[in-house]
Amino acid sequence: MTGGLRRRLATCAVRAAGRLLPAPLAGWGRALRHEVEAIDDDAEALGFALGGLRGALMQAMAFHLSGRSIEMSVWEALRRPSVVGLACAIGASGLGLAYLTMAGAPARYLAVNAGALLIGLLVYAVLGRARRLPGSVMLALGGVLLATALFGDTQAGAARWLMVGPLFVQPSLILLPMMIVGFARTRTALATAGMIVAALALALQPDRAMAGVLVAGLGALATFRRDRATSAALAAAVAAFAAALAQPDTLPAVAHVDQILYRAFDIDLVAGLAVVGGSALLIVPALAGRRDDGRQDARAAFGALWLAMVAAAALGNYPTPLVGYGGSAVIGYLLSIAVLRRPRGESATVAITEFAPATADDAREKLPTGLYSAA
Amino acid sequence: MTRSRALSPQARTVLATLLDAAGGWRHGYDLARAARVKSGTLYPLLIRLEAQGYLEAEWQPPEPGRPPRHAYRLTVRGVRFARDNPPAPAPGAIGRAVTA
Repeated sequence: MTGGLRRRLATCAVRAAGRLLPAPLAGWGRALRHEVEAIDDDAEALGFALGGLRGALMQAMAFHLSGRSIEMSVWEALRRPSVVGLACAIGASGLGLAYLTMAGAPARYLAVNAGALLIGLLVYAVLGRARRLPGSVMLALGGVLLATALFGDTQAGAARWLMVGPLFVQPSLILLPMMIVGFARTRTALATAGMIVAALALALQPDRAMAGVLVAGLGALATFRRDRATSAALAAAVAAFAAALAQPDTLPAVAHVDQILYRAFDIDLVAGLAVVGGSALLIVPALAGRRDDGRQDARAAFGALWLAMVAAAALGNYPTPLVGYGGSAVIGYLLSIAVLRRPRGESATVAITEFAPATADDAREKLPTGLYSAA
Repeated sequence: MTRSRALSPQARTVLATLLDAAGGWRHGYDLARAARVKSGTLYPLLIRLEAQGYLEAEWQPPEPGRPPRHAYRLTVRGVRFARDNPPAPAPGAIGRAVTA
């Protein structure tokens, strides 16, 4: 690795650290960035920056998971889909790692899944409270899925993957859950077009499982709102599902990826329970949240799509999300949780006060020193 | 409200390193090197010590061609706290490095 690349990576790392830190600690992100700039040796700077990023990630996790408000009760926290979603993502991934270990999967598989979890958590934290997914972004994401169908890596007649370095990535697993949940709040003409393009892509790939997931997610949305946008997207999804079913799917099962929901019990009871328990966790965030918070449609879509994905894995040679080998679903799950969150600017039903964990009073007292008030 | 926790060996070492500076300011990088702790451990620790009033920090004006830097030193309370919590004496290579 060249010195210039190390320096650029170090700069990216400290910028990410600065964005991760909650507002009361923003000055510390600035302190870390300037300290890294002052280090002459590029390798030393990169090591220092990556360590700082790790520390910032832990601070951000503590802030988001527990320290946001000491007034907020545990019960209220447990009713927030984002908190529940993060816990379920970590729990299901952990159970998946346990299963992979018991199944004798290569160490590289465990590293990929663990790495995907870290990347997903990082993206979740960096995204912050995402505003609505704009229709143009939804259309662009649909375009990515279509490009995968047209130019992606093909195996046994199915074009569902892209090569990213040494890894196969399945873009539909990463992007489609986020698009479906995002469509709950963004039903513009562009967003609808994005969903129709995604449906077309799944028919062309072809991918029965993900086309079924699209039908399930949009079907759940349609039970709440029968508008033209939802109806059009659902009709396209149903057509895509039918087209995918009409095409042969001869992909063989892949070890540690497919058919693990029932084969896990062949290893032993604990391995089987880890897989079933991890799969069940995926649906839990759909049950969190208040009934009257106006987000029921998004939660229903979230629950339906992940339930459909688990069902597809049980019925055919399709990836078992999070508990099986494969990083795409891990990242896709966390992205869908990020979109499930209440967007910035929407009124909250739970009063939240911003402060640093455990030391809020001290932190407020220290504000005049400039430590917490960096520009 | 400040939460009291048992001090980690790294926290004791960082406190001892700051105590060695005898009231002088230290930067994050050289503090990490002297105390032999990773930056991912150091900064959360500094945040906690500062919030508890054991540490003060200031932005130092930049030298030509260099960025401004954040520097740290113990408060009077912090000096007492560091003296009351020295690094573990026994096998700690870290402790010897700091107090040698």
